[in-house]
Amino acid sequence: MTPKERVLGCLQGTKIDRLPSAPLVLNHCSRVAGVPVSRFNSDAEVMGKAQVAAWKRYGYDIPLMFTTTASVAEAMGTRLFFPEDDAPWVEQPVAEDPANLAKVKVADPWKDGRLPVYLNAAKHVVAEIGEQVFVGCIFAAPFTTASHLRGTEAFIRETYKNPGLVNELLDLSKASALALIDAMADIGVVPVIVDPVASSSLIGPRQFEKFAMPRINDIVARAHARGMPICLHICGISRPIIELMADTGADILSIDRIDMAEVKSLVGHRACLLGNVQPAETMLKGTPASVTAEVKAIIESAGDSPRGLIVSTGCETPFNAPPENIEAVMTATRLYGQR
Amino acid sequence: MTNPEILNALAGAVIDMDEEAARTAATAAIETGMPAYEAITEGLVKGMQVVGDKYEQQEYFIPEVLLCSDAMIAGLEILQPHLPVDHNAGAEKVVIGVVQGDTHDIGKNLVKIMLEAAGYEVHDLGRNVPLASFVDKAEEVGASIIAMATLMTTTMEGMRTVVEELKSRGMRERTTVMIGGGPISQAFADEIGADLYAADANVAVRKLKNRQVA
Ligand code: B12
Repeated sequence: MTPKERVLGCLQGTKIDRLPSAPLVLNHCSRVAGVPVSRFNSDAEVMGKAQVAAWKRYGYDIPLMFTTTASVAEAMGTRLFFPEDDAPWVEQPVAEDPANLAKVKVADPWKDGRLPVYLNAAKHVVAEIGEQVFVGCIFAAPFTTASHLRGTEAFIRETYKNPGLVNELLDLSKASALALIDAMADIGVVPVIVDPVASSSLIGPRQFEKFAMPRINDIVARAHARGMPICLHICGISRPIIELMADTGADILSIDRIDMAEVKSLVGHRACLLGNVQPAETMLKGTPASVTAEVKAIIESAGDSPRGLIVSTGCETPFNAPPENIEAVMTATRLYGQR
Repeated sequence: MTNPEILNALAGAVIDMDEEAARTAATAAIETGMPAYEAITEGLVKGMQVVGDKYEQQEYFIPEVLLCSDAMIAGLEILQPHLPVDHNAGAEKVVIGVVQGDTHDIGKNLVKIMLEAAGYEVHDLGRNVPLASFVDKAEEVGASIIAMATLMTTTMEGMRTVVEELKSRGMRERTTVMIGGGPISQAFADEIGADLYAADANVAVRKLKNRQVA
């Protein structure tokens, strides 16, 4: 089976040879290509080639484009800092002073910030290996994007103190996200939306339902209207909101710190699950043996989840994780994930 | 209002995230002649402790804790001018920050809030803090505690550098080093020779209070 047939089979519930495996190998692609992260994320050709090289090296089932959760915010006016060889971070949120709200603009995916880098890189990957795999493109959902436009702490405080401003930023962020969904549909890549700032590590279920979720619902609906499946990734704590995550209608739920057997029983009949080898403890600091043990445990807990399981990491595989540990995810899935 | 009613109102205002109610209760405390110190420790801070418990039990999340702390600060602003001038003279000084390379600062901010509520004088260096700055600042303000946070495995080694720097400047003995954040553990604290590790903001305060000052 090609990775594409395997993932499709998993989503459609038809017979597959083994569970799909898609560890979140993102900035790590720069290691395979031997370039600093800052070159990887600012040049479409470098990123595209690095992605293809990493896919060839590890043979996972879904290559995923990403460098930071702040890319959409960057395209909307926020300034990022790019360390020479590490993932970028937010340097200056565009609306840190709310007086600058007017400077926030809806992103044009083919023009603004580094979005064209991703989209063109994704196009390259689709052209090279798209026959065999689905290519995924990760970007931040509106709640996380808006937090990068305003500054995370001020933003989550204002869900109480200034919901008007919060809603305004969320709607601008949603407009950018919808434009990205359309751009991705046009080039045939599968969207993955990530919302770490809406996780229960930060906000509770009530704020999630009131502010984050309505926008996620709209994005999921747009992806479906364009004939694409969509994955919702919320890293950090997600147990308090796992059912709401399923209510969004996302086809795949990507989760981090949560018991997979419990997730299976709560929402396994409503969405395919993706997760959740621990990124730091296991992928970075562990050994192939500890990776293997964790993959085995995940498959034992949720390998029979009604809507399928894609073996993955809970969040991004740290970019300097040992390659043997990524290989171990694949080997262990082949070993224990036979169907 | 009687004194117990005022104290309850102060605590309740913090728990209910109600700045206005905190100001009203603080003003009532002053008007009835309650010592400001008592209103703070037996009212506002008691409330903040309940908030900490609610956070641990996932009844409150970060926005709620931040708003509770805003209410506490609103009350403090009214009470503080009524404290005896030397009330904070003996307060221990803490230098806190998120180590270089890491910009996750929400957990650190919670620890800062709890430390301030517990009566420490906190000097906040913010996030992505150059390692030498921790030691420079501690020296400058005469802090006896350095508190460092990181949520990333890639940046935790920086904490070791700070401990080494304290040694090389001859400040290690008189400085308590406390560390925390996602990937940090007691084992890591032992390994780099830090004095204290705490898994959350409440425990951090408890451990600092209980430590034996050499
Ligand atoms: C929200 C979040 C973000 C926000 C941060 C907003 C902000 N201003 O802080 C945003 C979206 C910006 C972000 C960015 C990134 N993130 Co992030 N993020 C998270 C998330 C979901 C929650 C963190 C959080 O704030 N929790 C809530 C607070 C209250 O908890 P806390 O910090 O743990 O604090 C408590 C205790 O630890 C303790 N404590 C904290 N500090 C201290 C200090 C002392 C002295 C003591 C005693 C105790 C103590 O007390 C606190 C309260 O009780 C975590 C997931 C997770 N599992 O934690 C990932 C996570 C931390 N992020 C991660 C990553 C990789 C990143 C990025 C590199 C992603 C990218 N590629 O762009 C960037 C970072 C760039 C950089 N160099 O800084 C990884 C780190 C992996 C690792 N271990 O190395 C995590 C673990 C996700 C994962 N599973 O992989 N992130």
